[in-house]
Amino acid sequence: MNILLCCAAGMSTSLLVSKMQKSAEEQGVKARIWAVSGDAVRKHIEEADVLLIGPQVRYLLPQLKKLGEEKGIPVDVINTVHYGTCNGYEVLKYAQQLVSK
Amino acid sequence: MSKINNILENKIMPVAGRIAAQRHLQSLRDGLILTMPLIIVGSLFLILGFLPIPGYADFMAGIFGEAWLSKLLYPVGATFDIMALIAAFGIAYRLAEKYGVDALSAGAISVAAFLLATPFQVSFLPDGAKEAIMVGGAIPTALMGSKGLFVAMLVAMFSTEIYRLVVQKNIVIRMPDGVPPAVSKSFIALIPGFFVIAIIWILRLIIEQTSFESLHNIVGELLGKPLGVLGGSLVGSLVAVLLIQLLWSCGLHGASIVGGVMGPIWLSSMDANRIAFQDGQNLPNIFTQQFFDIFIYVGGSGATLALVIAMLFWAKSQQMKQLGRLAIGPGVFNINEPITFGMPIVMNPLMIVPFILAPMVMVITTYIAMSTGLVAKPAGIAVPWTMPPIIGGYLAAGGKISGAILQIVNFAICFGIYYPFFRMWDRQKLAEESGVSTDKNLDGNGFSA
Repeated sequence: MNILLCCAAGMSTSLLVSKMQKSAEEQGVKARIWAVSGDAVRKHIEEADVLLIGPQVRYLLPQLKKLGEEKGIPVDVINTVHYGTCNGYEVLKYAQQLVSK
Repeated sequence: MSKINNILENKIMPVAGRIAAQRHLQSLRDGLILTMPLIIVGSLFLILGFLPIPGYADFMAGIFGEAWLSKLLYPVGATFDIMALIAAFGIAYRLAEKYGVDALSAGAISVAAFLLATPFQVSFLPDGAKEAIMVGGAIPTALMGSKGLFVAMLVAMFSTEIYRLVVQKNIVIRMPDGVPPAVSKSFIALIPGFFVIAIIWILRLIIEQTSFESLHNIVGELLGKPLGVLGGSLVGSLVAVLLIQLLWSCGLHGASIVGGVMGPIWLSSMDANRIAFQDGQNLPNIFTQQFFDIFIYVGGSGATLALVIAMLFWAKSQQMKQLGRLAIGPGVFNINEPITFGMPIVMNPLMIVPFILAPMVMVITTYIAMSTGLVAKPAGIAVPWTMPPIIGGYLAAGGKISGAILQIVNFAICFGIYYPFFRMWDRQKLAEESGVSTDKNLDGNGFSA
């Protein structure tokens, strides 16, 4: 599964990436997880199965959702509490839920 | 307290969301980002040229000859000084992308339009002459840098708007099937490109008949000056910081949203300082991009590094202790989402108070320190916002210890502002953890996405 994360500069979400990767490894889930900045999403969305965006840029949701619909992948905002506490387990679970829907 | 949340949620948030999602502002911000790597590389050479070591200049001259400095600064001329050219491309590219038209063509046309709006003349003072003469056939580098930035921004948006209108009205040359896509793409750009160039050309012909003589003069007079006053004043800066903090209090990326408007202003005042610094003159501006990134936002928007340190050493509750450990790593590099969303500060009226107060107080202290000459002004060196404190302050001030000291003083002030609020919040968390009912007045966790 390919999970793309996005925030303003792709920096704070990259914190979450490492936590999610760890959680995926522990569960034996094969996942490619990476974070990019808001302006680079268009370049990366082709490779993604799901796009999750940081709550601080949730104003991007309408336009990215449209982009996601074109590519046929789910797009949503990461829960703020999970985001703030870098809860890799919960965010990974949510990504899996979105994909399997 | 929930009243404040209501206002934030229902009044500020929708407006902020709309502004933040505004196509042109987003393209402006994303397009300007294209100039950043270049400027940072240029800064590296700038720092090397002005290392504050006694005898350094003589040492370099001894090895590389008298002209060592101007040779070392070649890359500065090809990075800082073409900022507007790069921005003209980047902004048009990002805007075209948002309209779903060919971004590369739109970028190239925008660069041509920007150059078309610029008279190819430079002033030249011949030896022995009293008055400078205008020499034709040269692209004026001064207008390719920060001085041309506002024109580049306007032309990029204007030309891309025309470009996409013409394409969307389907006034294009279509190639029959079987022609390679790259070839037919270049034909699609022909007619919109012609419209853009023709309109800018006519505009230039008209402007040349007026006393302004060029678009650069008009924009400088009507846009650059008022914006410079707004961005260069203490009040304007306080308002900008207030807005950034209010937006972050709603959980929106304030720096990124306000930066769409203030970014170009702070960028051009940064570059004005860089030019003065390079020439060894007095620095004209206090409020540059680095003023905010480096001296105010130590630890991220809201200057939360002091808060993280308080958590690390003085937290009683498990939750705050853990958060402190999680947030210190990114905090040193001025990334603070774990704090804003994890503590949380977002939608938490108690913590919003110091979160707004601390940076605003620091704007005032930093302004006083710099305007009285106690601390060196930011030298126009593009220190990235992720630079850890102390090193960041030292570099941003142009290799002056006073910059690092100011960061430490600001940090101490910030700690003093955050600490009482942190104690209240920590006590509340501790009470929650030990099972005692919490103070109903402190409505904290009332936020969900």
